[in-house]
Amino acid sequence: MTLLTVSNLTKVYDKKAAVDHVSFTFQKGKCIALIGPNGAGKTTILRTLSGILTPTTGSVTFADNEKNEDIRKWIGYLPQYPVFYSWMTGKEFLVYAAKLAYTPKAEAEKRAVELLKKVGIEEAGDQHISKYSGGMKQRLGIAQATIHKPKLLLLDEPVSSLDPIGRREVLTLMEELKQEMTILFSTHILGDADEVSDELLLLHQGKIVESGTMAELRKKYQTAKIELEFQHDSIPYQAKVNAMASIESSYVDQNMLHVNAIDITQARQDILHVASAENWPLTSFSLNRASLEDMFMKVVKR
Amino acid sequence: MQWITLFQKEMLENWRNKKWIWFPLVIILMAIMDPISNYYLPQIIEATGGLPEGTNIELPDYTPSEVIMMSLGQISSLGVLVIVLISMGTIAGERKSGVSELILVKPVAYRNYITAKWAALIVLVWGALFIGLLASWYYVTILYGSLAFGSLLLVVLFYGLWLTLVVTVSIFYNTLFKSVGVVGFLSVLTIMLMSLVTKIFGRFLNWSPIHLSDHIFDMLMMEQISTELIATAIITLAITIILLTGSIFIFKSKEMAN
Repeated sequence: MTLLTVSNLTKVYDKKAAVDHVSFTFQKGKCIALIGPNGAGKTTILRTLSGILTPTTGSVTFADNEKNEDIRKWIGYLPQYPVFYSWMTGKEFLVYAAKLAYTPKAEAEKRAVELLKKVGIEEAGDQHISKYSGGMKQRLGIAQATIHKPKLLLLDEPVSSLDPIGRREVLTLMEELKQEMTILFSTHILGDADEVSDELLLLHQGKIVESGTMAELRKKYQTAKIELEFQHDSIPYQAKVNAMASIESSYVDQNMLHVNAIDITQARQDILHVASAENWPLTSFSLNRASLEDMFMKVVKR
Repeated sequence: MQWITLFQKEMLENWRNKKWIWFPLVIILMAIMDPISNYYLPQIIEATGGLPEGTNIELPDYTPSEVIMMSLGQISSLGVLVIVLISMGTIAGERKSGVSELILVKPVAYRNYITAKWAALIVLVWGALFIGLLASWYYVTILYGSLAFGSLLLVVLFYGLWLTLVVTVSIFYNTLFKSVGVVGFLSVLTIMLMSLVTKIFGRFLNWSPIHLSDHIFDMLMMEQISTELIATAIITLAITIILLTGSIFIFKSKEMAN
């Protein structure tokens, strides 16, 4: 089921397109990661979807919006650096946000208490936001973005500013939220995207350069590389490896021998066979799965 | 319902940041300064060293109406500055800090956002004006003679319209600019220019909002509401409505992030 269609979205700042003819559709209940280096246009896309920015050209259409209603009621948005009314308490802010989205008062109070607990800051609910730490603000930010039960949750770099523990907790929280709503989040930390997202959109200089599920992209960008690490110099073994029919080429980097295979399965067999027969002093043997980093570098350089 | 939520938040904010305490106090101070200092002027001069023997100063006998007008004079100059001060950040400040980004991604109607802020300021300003002039009236009745309470209420009513316009000018610039300083500067500049233009072309601009206090003084002297006063009040109200409507349109057409 399609939730949202973005077609030919373009946003121009000072004659430079921050987002350049971007088109994609979201399926309901997916978690999509928007990946790209700084300045790729991630924040601009999120802000345009949230309605804060108006697109220069192109459109954002909700599938269920036949009556052409205000789309903001279905959207929850967390900016990269959320700013709150520091004189309010966390709970007050949540109730306020919920009421602005037409949630009745009693329901708003109930949801606020639930969400404070869910994001793990329930003890701080009655404290003024001016006393909150960065991580607490980030959690409160997620709570305020979800309090009106939006269909689409937009998170701008939700975990980049958190410490490892906070990062883990927020990622777990996103896994939970995925059950209830569609999530689009931006990140430049590829590992995070790998962890929670179902689909990836790779963004470079305002354009979507690659998209798909993690598995699809892995397959597409898989490399036939094997890395061998020896206890000492790897040069004596290079000739033996190169002699194998399944090997295309190799190069030496101190104790490491990087091998480009023609047939990766055959090459693995060949190398392991010889290595065990001749008792090579191997310290590690790895089949190089394409990491998101490699993939990203390839796509960007293309 | 949403408007009430926004309005309540503004009222709570003005309470928590103590505007509801210091702003009325400032207005009270301005309102009672002249009535008291003029009455005790002879004693003040004596206490500060006096004048040479034989000096004879005739102090005018002020009527209660004249003294109330002195209070208005203080509010017109200093009070207006303080009003600009308390209102110049109400929208611009929220946009600058970025908190409006969280608020305006919620389905908030822009007219609600602006009119709720406007209304909260109006309640604060009218409340302070009423309390201030009440204090002034108290001293006037004790020190200078009686002035009907009904007249005082009329002064508050008509003069409140002028202060409403001041708030609206500030709100208008709030929607145009993100910098709090620019909003404050342009608001004060606009009010000064209005006053200047009215002084130069006074004969043709009898219904300029600047003349409200003159017509109020006439009302106190003649003890009746002149058509000029009514006309000026209507003009003031009309400009207020136009500016407020304009503010909503400007705000709607703006992108919140810029």
